[in-house]
Formats: sequence, C-alpha cells, structure tokens
Amino acid sequence: MNSRDLVIHEDQIEQIDKALIRLIKGAEAKCALLVDKDGYLITRQGFTHSLDTTALSALLAGSFASTKEIARLVGEPEFSVLFHQGRKDHIHLCLIGERTILAVIFDDRTTIGMVRLYAKEISEDLARILSQPAESTESREGKLDSDFTRSVESKLDDIFKD
Amino acid sequence: MVSINYAFKEISCKIVYYGPGLSGKTTNLQYVHKKIPPNTKGELISLATDADRTLFFDFLPLNIGDIHGFSTKFQLYTVPGQVFYNATRKLVLRGVDGLVFVADSQRFKMEENLESLKNLEENLQEYDYDLDRLPVVFQYNKRDLPEVMSLEEIQSQLNPKGLPFFESVATTGDGVFDTLKCITRLVLDRTKDKPEVSESTKVSSPVIEMAQCRTEKLKSKIVLGAVQDISQVEETITESAVDFAAQKTMVLERDEPGERGIFSIETSEPAAEEPEVIEKEENRLVLKPASEEKILAVSVKARKSRRGFSLWGWIKKIVGK
Repeated sequence: MNSRDLVIHEDQIEQIDKALIRLIKGAEAKCALLVDKDGYLITRQGFTHSLDTTALSALLAGSFASTKEIARLVGEPEFSVLFHQGRKDHIHLCLIGERTILAVIFDDRTTIGMVRLYAKEISEDLARILSQPAESTESREGKLDSDFTRSVESKLDDIFKD
Repeated sequence: MVSINYAFKEISCKIVYYGPGLSGKTTNLQYVHKKIPPNTKGELISLATDADRTLFFDFLPLNIGDIHGFSTKFQLYTVPGQVFYNATRKLVLRGVDGLVFVADSQRFKMEENLESLKNLEENLQEYDYDLDRLPVVFQYNKRDLPEVMSLEEIQSQLNPKGLPFFESVATTGDGVFDTLKCITRLVLDRTKDKPEVSESTKVSSPVIEMAQCRTEKLKSKIVLGAVQDISQVEETITESAVDFAAQKTMVLERDEPGERGIFSIETSEPAAEEPEVIEKEENRLVLKPASEEKILAVSVKARKSRRGFSLWGWIKKIVGK
C-alpha cells in the first residue's frame, strides 16, 4: 500500500471520537471535525447535521493550504493555528501532526481561550492516536478486489447515462 | 492519495482537472453537476472571481454509493487556469489520485496548452509526484469551434506517449462523462494493484459487520439508558427508547417532556436520503428509512439542552436485504 495513502481504522476513529467529545464538552464547542490536509473528512463529532461536512472539509483544507503559502512568503514554515471570527459562530483550526487539521466550531457560549486550551491538550492525544501504526491483521489491509472496479464502472454507467 | 476510512467504510479519491485558462475545466464540472442524479452529488462549490474566473478551485463531491461494502466517493477539483494563479493551482494538486488535462483544441491556444502541461509537471515535482506514474486522461475540448487542430497534430504535441484521450465539447457535454469514467477507472485500477481482499473479509460485507457491531453496542447503551442517574452514563441515549422489534421503522421516545431535549436526524452519508418522519410528537419520533434497497445507517441524536452538557446517541440499523 502506498505510504501516502491515508488509512484510518475503526479503533483509531473510536479513540479520536472520544477525544473530540472530550474537547467539545470541555470547551463547550458546537462541533469538531478532523480533516485530512488533502481535504477529506476523517471524523466529526457534535452537531454537524446542518453542515455540509464534505464541502467544509475541502474548503478548510484549502484555506489551510493557502495560509501555508502565505506563511512561506513571510518566511515562516507554517502557521499552525488559524482562527476565523464570525458574528455568531467562530472556527478554530490547528494542525495535528503532519497531515491532519482539527477544526472546532463554537459560538459565544464559550471563549476562544477555552477552545485553544482544550484544542491544544487534545492535539497531543490526537497526534499520538494518528501516529499509531496500522494494525497488522492482513484482512484489514486488503480492500479492492478485481470485482470492485467492475462494480464501480457499472454503477458509473448507471449514473452517467444521458 | 486514496483515502480509506475503515470506520465510515469509505473510499475517497481526488481527481483534478488541469489545463490552461478558459479551456473548460469548470464547464466540465458544471455539466457533471447538472446531469447526475441529486442523491449522487453534493454541492458544486466555486471559488471564483467576480468575473467568473476560477480563483482557487471548484469542488464537486460525487458519491456513487455502496460498492462491496465501501461507500465510494470521488472528489472533483479544478485548478485556476490563469498563469499568475500558480500558487493556488499548486495547492489543489496536493493528494491528487488522478488528473484530467483539459486542453483547448484551437490552434492559437496550443502554446498555452503546452505551457500548462509543463507547469503541471513542475508542480507535481514539488510534491514528489511523477506525471508518468499518475493516472492521466487528456481531453481535447472545444471541438465544435472553427480553427481547431487535427487530432493527430494535438496528439503529437501534447500526448506523444499516447495516453487515453477524448474529444469533447464541454458546453454541450460531449465527451464529459467519457472522460470522467475513464479517469475513475484508471484511478481504481491503480488502487487495485494493492493487496486483494482476503477470503475471510469477502464472506461477509464489512458494512454489515460494522452495523451489527454498532447495533450490539447500542443495545447495551439502551440498557445503560435505564440507569436513572445520567451523570453516571456518558454518550448514551438516556432519554430515549428504541423499538428494535419493528423491522422497517424506528421509534424514539423520550421520558421527559419537550423543551429540555431535541431530536435531530442524520443519515450516515450527507448525500443519502434522509429517513421519512412518519410521526412526530413532542416526545415521540417514528422514522421510516427512505430506501429499503440498501443498507442504511441512520443516526438519531438526542440532546439535552441544559447548558454545556450534551448527549448524543447513535442508532444504527440495517434495513432491507
């Protein structure tokens, strides 16, 4: 498997979810998302049902990427924390390890300080969970057999018929 | 690269449409967005200037549904074609799984095509990707215009290696789906080179396993839910009871009246149809899954609105087959 592929296992997600719940409760945030730098959503907790999390993840990753370029232009390797302030809702973004971004959405029930505090604390846990080597059980590593591509193709034919 | 989320049983691939300015990359996405069924697509997001030129990227998520137990998603991106947007163009390439190079077939645009292709190679190098090793499909767009170059000429200049190519008129949709189908196949073929699924996993679909496991967990949660002191129980549906006996509907009930808690419904996929609410009263919610054909995981959340303390409960259920 390509080392750049992102593979997250269920047990990792469970641990991450627990950490996110702890963060949400502690900081009284609305929701928290863990997003891959490539723009994929890894997991989410809290009240996300009204959010288009797929698009949100892609945009958050995009905004982080562009900030990184800004950082480079002013001579910083990377800005590790980003904060968007809105009228009601705010977003706090921070980098976890090499390739994931933690986004916390919160409102005026709490403060940026609380969010930062908890996010920082949880960051270390998350980095540790994410750096765990994937479990070695063979069956979990495999994924796509030859039927898979054929099934996708027939599905695409269905969808793309004019 | 290809992202596999075992917890959500999800495979995501990122496909980027590259090419010179005004070659029709955004038009490709707009056509796909217009033509495919609503349950398959998300919103088309364009970060564009006032004059409708792409500033950062366009983004269109496609969810083609459950394949062998994995929810399979493609994320389509375009890059800004204009030369001076290279900084943002490069960013979009991060984690790309497959490329569609949209070239403008008009003779006077050939130089821009070549320049863009060279720029693509340079930008990929910065991420240590190699154009020769990535799935690439060429699309020669605007075939309906006068002054277009012949296929042979374009091929010899842009695609001497003879990679897959399609002629297209993106505004009418000619060749758009063919291109997309080809690149998705190449991306998945490449992923297929990886280890095959072992026999043990083939026997039972991972999604079913997961759903069963979640259901078991949920049953235990409901037992926990009977505990009166909620401070002892975290992440449980303390105020709800779920009727598992009913095969095709789901019933939620809350002991305490109104104000203090709310129900919200969320399907496992944003693109999936939400379950139909058959009955909704203050303390009772009856749901019927929208589709009986496939396995659908539905979560219903109950929240206590007491300040600063929220509870979530997940209900996962297999419907249909």
